[in-house]
Amino acid sequence: MIEISQNQNLTTELVAIKVLNLIKRFGSLVAVNDVSFEINQGEIVGILGPNGAGKTTTIRLLTSVFQLENNAKIEIFGDDITHNPTKYKKNFGIVPEISNAFSDYSVWQNLMFSGGIYGISKDEIEKRSKKLLTQFNLIDKVYSKTKTLSKGLKQRLNLCLALLHDPPILILDEPTSGLDPISVNLMRNQILKLKEEGKTILITTHDMREAQNMCDRILIMNKGKIIADESPDTLREQFKSTSTILFKIDGVISTEQERILSKIVNLVKDKNGYHVFSSTNALKDISNLYQTSKENNIKISDLKIKETSLEEVFIHLIKDDLAFEEGVANK
Amino acid sequence: MIQDSLTRIWLLSKKNIILYIKKGPVLIFGLMFPFFMTLSWVIGREISLNLVFIGIIAMTSFFTATAISPVVLPIETREKSLERILSSPISLNEILIGIILASTLYSLFITSIITIIFILIFSVGFNSLITIFVMFFGIGLMSILGSLLGLLVAAHPTDMTSDVMIIMNLIKFPLLFISGVFVPLQTMPFNLVFISFLSPITFLTDLLRFCVEGNNFFMVQFDILMLIIWIISLSIVNYILHKKTMPKRLSETGSKKKIMMMKKNMR
Repeated sequence: MIEISQNQNLTTELVAIKVLNLIKRFGSLVAVNDVSFEINQGEIVGILGPNGAGKTTTIRLLTSVFQLENNAKIEIFGDDITHNPTKYKKNFGIVPEISNAFSDYSVWQNLMFSGGIYGISKDEIEKRSKKLLTQFNLIDKVYSKTKTLSKGLKQRLNLCLALLHDPPILILDEPTSGLDPISVNLMRNQILKLKEEGKTILITTHDMREAQNMCDRILIMNKGKIIADESPDTLREQFKSTSTILFKIDGVISTEQERILSKIVNLVKDKNGYHVFSSTNALKDISNLYQTSKENNIKISDLKIKETSLEEVFIHLIKDDLAFEEGVANK
Repeated sequence: MIQDSLTRIWLLSKKNIILYIKKGPVLIFGLMFPFFMTLSWVIGREISLNLVFIGIIAMTSFFTATAISPVVLPIETREKSLERILSSPISLNEILIGIILASTLYSLFITSIITIIFILIFSVGFNSLITIFVMFFGIGLMSILGSLLGLLVAAHPTDMTSDVMIIMNLIKFPLLFISGVFVPLQTMPFNLVFISFLSPITFLTDLLRFCVEGNNFFMVQFDILMLIIWIISLSIVNYILHKKTMPKRLSETGSKKKIMMMKKNMR
């Protein structure tokens, strides 16, 4: 494992992962297309993207499960691992989307196997395993076969396995996908705790709220490329000009009133009975809405302006990317 | 460094034995097949005890050795545990040796039990003490060879054990029938002897014949040399093929759905 000196520890901007020009082809399909990014030590970075965007392939390239192509380069704490990836695998703790622990092994057997593979002594594996199993509330399942565990428990075991060799970098591939709210909460708290301990964390997720609340930085991937690399706040700031306006109409409105109102806003109702529309000039649109409703005897109530969520930014970016490419293709 | 590598190989091999010894294909093709093959060969025929012993040992050694090694990679691809192994500090060589060792130990264990039963219960005799060592050396070589052959078939990047076992059987049975297990090489026409060279079982059978009856067709050194040549050749081919197909296990079989999704997303 790479030793980090005390001086390096004090530097907040120490680059833990540096990835340059990652490419992965599956036949004619370019799954990852010239991806480059950096992650500083102690950061939580989220990779967001639609299904098939290349997130998992990027992780597999980073962890040397797939061989690097062309002039791709990966540096871990400044060391080029491109030519000897096996040596550097100890730096990673990986939590996959779908449990990949040996299903016919018990929780304990999985931990003993994993610890042994990482060269940890038997006594030390036992000590660390007990600590982790207690931390993740798995101690009573220690002799249960992995295949008998629920998805949430399996994911906790995967986190234990990933942490057993105390790696400086954690890679979590959609760790909360399909978990119940209690397991999600436990998982998120543990991830934040690990950040406090100084771990560098790379997380792929579909959950925008998770990314917004947990990540210091977000990489948005689409079609194998990174299309945005910013903090969640910066991303939202960039799209702040678009607001979501919600309001209710008291009573029943006539067809004529509806026609007049629909000239200003799109009258789509959400499940809570709110009419929702997006606006690039909230003040102007609200004043317009009030004016029209007053003139036409429509009673507006419960008006709200919603801040742009990361989800909306994400959808916006993916759509922009698609529109841009279509534009290029049409030219 | 070497000690770490040996530890990893042992852990992988132990895992392969514990997890796969009770799997259906291993029990069916490793134990039941040689048992019923022997029964159908022996019942109703007047075959000397020595010939039965040679046939059973050759078949058991070959069948048990080719039972575990073909199923490990497809099962681990399907259960995703292969990705755990590949993302750990384990080299391809260690993964392959771990499988070969597990398969070899399994074969040696089963074959040794049967050998001991024959020696103790049926009083199969040997020419000298050294021939017992030669016999176990030959069985050891065949166990490694069979494991390598099974592993070679598993280079096909599938996650279905049935796919691999079908190919394995397509190879195993012709190799058994063209060898001198059922018909001694001495009684075979010259053309068939020539064809029997294509089967490594021929050399084990001949070696066993030397140990038990003393009337072998080739020189025992030649039998051993041929088995070693087979082992070296299969090792090289295995390494080349697995190096090529290992990444495909995750990309082509493991995530076929994801690739479809990616292609859809690219459109």
